[in-house]
Amino acid sequence: MGSGTWSTDVYDAADRYRRSTGTSAFAYSDGGARTVHPDLDPSGAARESRDSTEHPESLAIAVLFDVTGSMRRVPRVLQTKLPQLLGMLQRKGYARDPQIMFGAIGDATCDRVPLQVGQFESDNRMDDDLGRIVLEGGGGGQMTESYELALYFMARHTSIDCFERRGHRGYLFIIGDELAYPKVKPREVRKLIGDELTEGIPLASLIREVTRKYDTYYLLPAGTGYAGDARVLDYWRDLLGQNVLELDDLNAVCETIALTIGLGEGTVDLDTGLHDLGKAGSKTTRTVSKALARVGADQRATTVSPLPAVRTNGDRITRL
Amino acid sequence: MSHVIVVDLGYGDAGKGTVVDWLCATRPVHAVVRFNGGGQAAHNVVLPDGRWHTFAQFGAGTFQPGVRTHLSRFMVVDPLALAVEADHLAMIGVPDALDRLTVDAWALLTTPYHRAANRAREVARGAGRHGSCGMGVGETIAYDLAHPGEAPRVGDCATPGVLRERLAALRDRLTAELGPLDAPPVDDCVAAFTAFAERVSIVDGDYLTTLLRSGTCVFEGAQGVLLDEWYGFHPYTTWSTTTFANAERLLAEAGMAGHATRLGVLRIVTTRHGPGPLVTEDPNLPFIDPRNPTNPWQGPFRFGHFDAVAHRYALDVAGGVDGLALTHLDLASPQLKICRRYDWTERLVPGPAGDLDHQATLTEQLLRSRPEYDEPVSDWITTVEDELARPVVLSSHGPTAKDKSTRGSLLAPVPAASS
Repeated sequence: MGSGTWSTDVYDAADRYRRSTGTSAFAYSDGGARTVHPDLDPSGAARESRDSTEHPESLAIAVLFDVTGSMRRVPRVLQTKLPQLLGMLQRKGYARDPQIMFGAIGDATCDRVPLQVGQFESDNRMDDDLGRIVLEGGGGGQMTESYELALYFMARHTSIDCFERRGHRGYLFIIGDELAYPKVKPREVRKLIGDELTEGIPLASLIREVTRKYDTYYLLPAGTGYAGDARVLDYWRDLLGQNVLELDDLNAVCETIALTIGLGEGTVDLDTGLHDLGKAGSKTTRTVSKALARVGADQRATTVSPLPAVRTNGDRITRL
Repeated sequence: MSHVIVVDLGYGDAGKGTVVDWLCATRPVHAVVRFNGGGQAAHNVVLPDGRWHTFAQFGAGTFQPGVRTHLSRFMVVDPLALAVEADHLAMIGVPDALDRLTVDAWALLTTPYHRAANRAREVARGAGRHGSCGMGVGETIAYDLAHPGEAPRVGDCATPGVLRERLAALRDRLTAELGPLDAPPVDDCVAAFTAFAERVSIVDGDYLTTLLRSGTCVFEGAQGVLLDEWYGFHPYTTWSTTTFANAERLLAEAGMAGHATRLGVLRIVTTRHGPGPLVTEDPNLPFIDPRNPTNPWQGPFRFGHFDAVAHRYALDVAGGVDGLALTHLDLASPQLKICRRYDWTERLVPGPAGDLDHQATLTEQLLRSRPEYDEPVSDWITTVEDELARPVVLSSHGPTAKDKSTRGSLLAPVPAASS
């Protein structure tokens, strides 16, 4: 009981929230780290998603986001939203045994940390990887980042049981706002990952390689430098077809990813998924339905008004 | 993995905060979950090094590194007070409280309009005050009941358009009822709440299931069972279910019904902050509570002898506990007595759930009741155990986690797994 120990002032609350930049959210990065955390270092690394007795039908899901300057505050917002993804997938039954990996993409031509890759995890441990991501905020100024390096790593340095044992593709989501470089460069691969390539690999053949193993999506969020930029959208649509989604509300990132997986797995249809969102009191339904309009079949606008919590009592009671 | 629910079996202020802090200090706790009340909670935790924080919305386990706080949909959230509380925590060496926080999108939002309406009503009541905290928590719940589906919720903070609409409707309705409110313009509120949504992790109802599967969680109750909206002594009650019910419901939704340890917290001095029955009240008791100062909304902090009749009633209506935590044992003195019966009964009988007329009649009776006392108490722990027929599994002689001792194995400390 109390009397409001903490004062309330509408005029300084916003300042207080803005001043308090996530200290532990990106503790590693905010602590001044400018080199890749050992747990996220792609050098000589491989990432595995495995079946187990506890998770017999593992499904590999990778979410890699651009952390360069043009993304502005988006990585920080993503950091607060992404931890919900696992629970959402499990509860809604969209995927039986999801294993999620988070990673970050920079620019190998000028950044110190161009690629960071976490582990596939079945529980909240992937949140710890999120906290170890260095937010370099760098990147070049030419609308291009090293997405191709991330695609290369996913294609050749991940081993996933869902695909290898059961022929079932995993999911790869790239969240960004720029273009990739046209080729993977042997020099960068040697330096960052350690492989010896005799020649560069063109982006298109890399996409072919990675999409064999992963159903691959590109998400372009609002609030980034190139949000809604037709050049970026067209570029990725050429490569990934309809798997390019515009996200006009970052708050809906998890819902969008979860529902995309549900649709891909056939565990939900778009209407039911949007209905679920509405029922959960989610205000993100419109964003998701817009983003997935091209992915889902038989698109119909669905609006659901959430029911109030059931309480039966006279509303004329005078209480505290 | 054993979740624990901590509930106060009195009128609040029994020491839930210090018990939750101790639980988090003595075993690996993943998160503290709030399941009732709002920002009017004031759960004090003192660290051995002297640092002190009054936890209002953050879980009382926040001093322990890495322990998260989850505000469930049963909590009424006050983002303005939350920002100030987070800053105070940062000031005393806990910079990441906001990062360890998740808030259910469906939780109701307390706004300056609710607060202004709350205070306008309480002032109008004059001498007939109910002991409101003046924060607008009850007002928030009342508005939601009166206008289903239209009350601003935490999730609305992420969609400024919806939020603006709901805040304007709220302001207009309350103004029509009470006259001009002393509260800022809607747009200024929208700006603050939007900043809250950008900074804090707002989650949907599914999140809690993941949380509960990730590790031990402590459910931190607010206020006390004797203030419960249905079983408290009407109308001196709170707008919230203060029993185990909400926590049990959240556990059941996560498929973990009945799997939590139910812990009831009691202090050997029965107290009440604000008006309403306190049968054992004794102005001659030599206590002051520096952490519960008199305030214009609740009035003085009142002290009474241990009221076993009222606490037995709390146990009955809450559906029992696995164990008791007995606090403030350092206040034991020859002057402090135990009341086992009133001048007319040993046992208070609750009415059927939701029968507020019955509760109001009970309140009238209590206001006329006289306590009866026996011989002085020599051993508080065994006396309370005998009287309430439940084991005391934790005893507390002071404000810090160091001042706690376990009895029996129910809450035995769990060493951290060596990884």
